[in-house]
Amino acid sequence: MEKTLQVLNELVRDGTLSRYAIGGAMGATFYAEPVLTFDLDIFVILPQTVSGLLTLEPLYETLRARGYTEEGECVNIEGIPVQFLPAHNDLLVEALTEAREVFYEQTPTRVLRAEHLVAVALQTGRDKDR
Amino acid sequence: MDELDPEIARLITAKEQRRHKLAALPFAEKVRLVVKLQQMAAPVLRARGRSVAVWTLDDLKPVVRK
Repeated sequence: MEKTLQVLNELVRDGTLSRYAIGGAMGATFYAEPVLTFDLDIFVILPQTVSGLLTLEPLYETLRARGYTEEGECVNIEGIPVQFLPAHNDLLVEALTEAREVFYEQTPTRVLRAEHLVAVALQTGRDKDR
Repeated sequence: MDELDPEIARLITAKEQRRHKLAALPFAEKVRLVVKLQQMAAPVLRARGRSVAVWTLDDLKPVVRK
């Protein structure tokens, strides 16, 4: 997963992403012992498009050019299925803005704060999170 | 309640479908994914001071009883 995060950091450096943070069950692992599923939820703030449309296509295109393939809604980056979720409401924008800077092994990354992880799970309202 | 952006609605639906696909995987494949999950989580748990043992797939060879 460290290589996956290094690729995400490169996407921030080259401007493909404005900001990202780990969320979902893997994000919760930084605080608790969640039931994990085999994917990495990455919340992202995308650069503003001219049309104002919310689309992940430029991000997918950049990743395709680097040889990373899509698997349904995920992109396989260095062996890890990554699902990108754009910050589409005020809660997610706040969660991303206030995300904690942490290290995964030697690689700097960001993870949503525990209170935001809980709030996002409540807002999403899936049965498995109840 | 705010209407969900179509792209977000698509992502949430696709995520649910992926979970069903994972649930339908053969047992051996599920175990392989559990090991990968352990590998992903181990550095985070170790940084929290937890003692973590990650299985190796060699550990999972069937036990032959004499």
